[in-house]
Amino acid sequence: MSTPLEQFIDYKVQTGMQCGNYDIDLPKLKDGEQYRFHFDATKCIGCKCCEVACNEQNNNPADIKWRRVGEVESGVFPEVSQLFNSMGCNHCVDATCLQGCPTESYIKIDNGIVIHDDESCIGCQYCTWNCPYQVPVFHPERHIVTKCHMCYERIERDQTPACVQACPSGAIEIESVNISDWLEGKIDDEGNAPLTADARITNSTTRYTLPKNIEKDLKSADEHILKPEHAHWPLVFMTVFTQASLGGFIALVIGELLGIFGFNLQSPSWEMALAVWIPIAIGLPLSALHLGRPLKALSAMKNIKNSWLSREALALGLFATFSLAIVIFLFFDVNPYIRVMVEIPTMMVGTYGIYSQAMIYRIKARPSWDRLINVKKFFGVAYIGVLLLAVAALKFDLVASSSSIITLALLVAVIQGFFYLEDINSFNQVENSYKLYKKHFTIHALFRKITFILGALVAPMLASTLIAANEVSIASTVLIFAVGVALLSELIDRYLFYVTVVPLGMPGGFFIGKARD
Amino acid sequence: MLDKIKSFLGVDIKADKYALVDDEQFGRISAYKKPDKWVESTCGYCGVGCGLVIGVKNGKAVYTKGNPKHPVNIGTLCPKGLSEHEILASSNRILSPKIRKGKKLVDATWDEAYLLTSNKFKEIKERHGAKAVGVISTGQLLTEEFYTLGKFVQLGLGSNNYDGNTTLCMSSAVMGYKQSFGSDGPPGCYEDFEYADVIFLIGANIADNHPILKLHIAKNKKNPKIVVIDPRRTKTAQMADIYVPLKPRSDLALLNSLAYIILEQGWENVDYIKANTNGFKEYKKHIQNYPPQDVANITGIDVKVLYELARIYAGAPAAMIAWTMGVNQSALGTDTVSAINNLAILTGNIGKKGASPFSITGQCNAMGTRESGFTSGIPGYRNFASEQDRDEYASLVGVDSSIIPDERGYKYNEIIEAIERGEIKALWVVATNPLVSFVNQNRLRKALKKLDLLVVQDAFMSETAEVADVIFSAATWGEKEGSYTNSERRVNRAKKAVDTPADTKSDFDVIVDFSEYFSDTKETLFNNWRKPEDAFNEWKKVSEGRLCDYSSITYEKIEESGGVQWGGTRLYTEDATFKTSDGRANFICADWIPLTNGSVKEFPLILNTGRTVEQWHTRTKTKSIDILNNVAPEAWIEINPVDAQALEVKSGDRLNISSERGMVEKVIVKVTQTVAPKTIFVPFHFSSELINTLTPSLFCPKSGEPNYKQTAVQLHSKKVPVGIEYEEQMSAGSIELNEVEISEVKTSLRVKEDV
Repeated sequence: MSTPLEQFIDYKVQTGMQCGNYDIDLPKLKDGEQYRFHFDATKCIGCKCCEVACNEQNNNPADIKWRRVGEVESGVFPEVSQLFNSMGCNHCVDATCLQGCPTESYIKIDNGIVIHDDESCIGCQYCTWNCPYQVPVFHPERHIVTKCHMCYERIERDQTPACVQACPSGAIEIESVNISDWLEGKIDDEGNAPLTADARITNSTTRYTLPKNIEKDLKSADEHILKPEHAHWPLVFMTVFTQASLGGFIALVIGELLGIFGFNLQSPSWEMALAVWIPIAIGLPLSALHLGRPLKALSAMKNIKNSWLSREALALGLFATFSLAIVIFLFFDVNPYIRVMVEIPTMMVGTYGIYSQAMIYRIKARPSWDRLINVKKFFGVAYIGVLLLAVAALKFDLVASSSSIITLALLVAVIQGFFYLEDINSFNQVENSYKLYKKHFTIHALFRKITFILGALVAPMLASTLIAANEVSIASTVLIFAVGVALLSELIDRYLFYVTVVPLGMPGGFFIGKARD
Repeated sequence: MLDKIKSFLGVDIKADKYALVDDEQFGRISAYKKPDKWVESTCGYCGVGCGLVIGVKNGKAVYTKGNPKHPVNIGTLCPKGLSEHEILASSNRILSPKIRKGKKLVDATWDEAYLLTSNKFKEIKERHGAKAVGVISTGQLLTEEFYTLGKFVQLGLGSNNYDGNTTLCMSSAVMGYKQSFGSDGPPGCYEDFEYADVIFLIGANIADNHPILKLHIAKNKKNPKIVVIDPRRTKTAQMADIYVPLKPRSDLALLNSLAYIILEQGWENVDYIKANTNGFKEYKKHIQNYPPQDVANITGIDVKVLYELARIYAGAPAAMIAWTMGVNQSALGTDTVSAINNLAILTGNIGKKGASPFSITGQCNAMGTRESGFTSGIPGYRNFASEQDRDEYASLVGVDSSIIPDERGYKYNEIIEAIERGEIKALWVVATNPLVSFVNQNRLRKALKKLDLLVVQDAFMSETAEVADVIFSAATWGEKEGSYTNSERRVNRAKKAVDTPADTKSDFDVIVDFSEYFSDTKETLFNNWRKPEDAFNEWKKVSEGRLCDYSSITYEKIEESGGVQWGGTRLYTEDATFKTSDGRANFICADWIPLTNGSVKEFPLILNTGRTVEQWHTRTKTKSIDILNNVAPEAWIEINPVDAQALEVKSGDRLNISSERGMVEKVIVKVTQTVAPKTIFVPFHFSSELINTLTPSLFCPKSGEPNYKQTAVQLHSKKVPVGIEYEEQMSAGSIELNEVEISEVKTSLRVKEDV
């Protein structure tokens, strides 16, 4: 009779299973290789040992799950197949969490594991949007995002990652993969799991062993859970306000240019420039409230090379600064030629800022966001800024100008109206989001519609007529009303934009869903 | 305020709390939870008996990790085991003895609680006799505690109306083994999963209930053929090569027809039968009543599948049958167990590597109480009825043999009935929670109200404790010393890792201290007993020479070798060594009887109950563990899409379930193909959706085990409150009448491709 220790060593040698062992013998990596997970769905029994072991290892509270077990069913009784997917991080070749991170807090280390640098993270959560598997998870207690790192500190010491160690079926293993072999084709055969985002989006490395002949009628256990996403209120205000500012500013610059080219237009007053500056002055700092660590907001500009979020932060920061400079120029009545020399680059930077802002949402992981129409609509919000400019013009006795500004605003509003219709049509194609919208948000949508017609079209037209009739003070009131109602309309629309997004991901559990709020 | 602002600004990312640090034994682990010491012990949940190590930091348990050197689990643990350290700090703990004052339970001293209880017991004994005190215990205590409690109840209190909650789960296996082999005791072991060529899992959802057993199947190099027999397509069925979706409670007929086919085809092991069995002739004759054509009608399983199953089982060099509650929790439970045993002895699939009829136990120490507990027998698998056994036990422990009862008292359900009749006046409930786990809850609740005194001894505030008159606040796993015996007869050590909290004490101390309140009981029964090992030593003496012989087992030996199996790796490895008078196993002529299930017109669906991996029994231990609860926070009802359509419900909706005994309201719907049309499944763990409100007072007459698994019910949705309409079905063919019925249930036959 051998001792328990001998039996244990025998077991390791005989079975080659990584489960149960706290020590692991991994192959040394050759050039072009990295470590990855292999998940064998034919072995998994859905016991969730891996989930609990992961939390125990990392001291994470119950609702922060780095590893999640999802459940898929297909067939008709008794020919039923139940499939589980236990997923940590897929340590992708082209990790979108890493690419999008504005603070360069993700690092793909030499062995291919994607780790997260907690200290530099500002909790912007852009990675949680970017990852098509919803792997990174915001940890409210820590104010930062955290994620599965394949227990790299254990692997570096030849110790088994917690999930691998805990699996009583040997369904989770660590192995090495030659990256180019994988990307040349194996990924399409072995990289995809049922009802889970396509492995090619990020070139995920996890290898799946699935039962042969998986049925077509797959059904996720959390099919019934279709929850609205976060509204992200600071972002709702920030985006709409910055977009309005840019619109007002562009209108102002157009006026300046027309003046220079000899049109008989009054020069804009500094109050008008201030009026269009105010929204961005409110909006930009608001965005910091969205961050887990607002004090570190400035470090969001770190990853200009790759991250649209960094670009947005820098460009809009510059835009806000220089458009304030214009206010000052106007106040001191600086020469119009010098003003325009500054205004044109400021306008361009601002435009690039809003473009970057829009591109943040062009991500495969979130289909309802990933539509060109959203970029157009972001720019379309410009009309509110133009209306605001008109209010200022009217208030500060530039009545003649205000008429033409209102006309411009109406023109932009009509374009936004067309975008609005186009959006509805293509949104209907995004299946889950549409379902969500139908279930919870038809009232909101109706309100959006009415406020848009009223604030963006009817009220400005009325104001325009009143100005023609020389009823300036009533016109001014109507115009302020228009700005308010239109703003409300765009804010609701932006709110709907955020709450109706249904991210790609993995199948979830019956109660817990995808364990991502 | 400053902290709030700081927190809002995310100044502190709690890096220390989430850092890792080196541990000598386990490598990088959470720094925040890095233990000062690791204590080797055994898991206190199910009967698998996994070896684990408890990490203790500043006197608190912070980790439970699988012991890599333990042969049962080789380092792995299930989700409950992995989070087991959390039960100790549960908000649900009872931290002091309590006495009822009007509507409230108020804290009391041990002396007050003991005095009140002992006085009442004595008073009841005086007026109604000793047997008017009933005791219901558990499978959760340590063997030392079971032995102590049993001895105290039977010989000290003098009442044999003593049973355990093991009657709700294992008693059919006990009685089935007894009737087939002359004694209780599972013949096989986990190693059999590694060596079997064929594994039948009958009514055993090991994926949910005993996930660590999958490890042993995973170790099997022979690519064994796995057959899962279960009316519900469980997670376990997913690992099957052949899934057999038999109709609810038709298992006994199926088993008998396999025997029919084996005999018809001459696949039986003639030599084994000759050398080892009695009653073969009668059995052969009896089994002729189960021709596959008829059984196909009863079970809904095609004749050719029955032949295939018989061929696979009888043809394998080594075949094992493992089962749990699907078999045991039946009015035919005992006989179904024997029908399994019949197949084993018919083919010689017993007593050798990879071959056994193997009951997987539910609770961590169900085995310990079966051997030492003094409920269904005298400790050491002795019979009450045998004068020799009584005398032997009396002389071993030095008491007068006249105080040993000569018959078994009431079983669990009989105790409840005796309370209803007013015959039992006081009930002492130890570490179990009938007000969730027993059948027919409304009736039980009414019965408990009739008691003069209800004493509950528990570590957790259970639904039963809430209605108690007196509570003894016990310690629990991790806080006390002793041993557990698992399904494969492996005696494991449970060790004290942390101190007993507040005013609690180990169940051993609770009982021994309580005995002081009964004149000279302590001196007679527990003379000089100071620690659990004193009980263990007496139990070793008592079990010496019996089938469950602990005499050579010491605490040190258990610790050194990762548990010791009494009786060796397997039982009955030699010819004619069964525990019957002549050493031969009995063929049992067991008859399948159709399920009678009340008025099917009103209640046309069949409710099946069971468990989920995240919860333990009545959730006294698990209900405060977040990571388990957020995966399974409440009960759900699984219904087939056909029924869902009829009821106009979707997943996530809620509906009511009713039976003749009551209604359970607002259970969340999970529409799934894992249950057949007209059958539903609901887990029983949750008092919020108390499914045992519906289950009937129907018991196996031999074992007393309730028939939990098949209850006639109706469903009521918001849109279709009247429920599912009854459809006339041709009655399941009764054997004698040879009725012919066309079965529409398809069977699933998938043969694994050889890799």
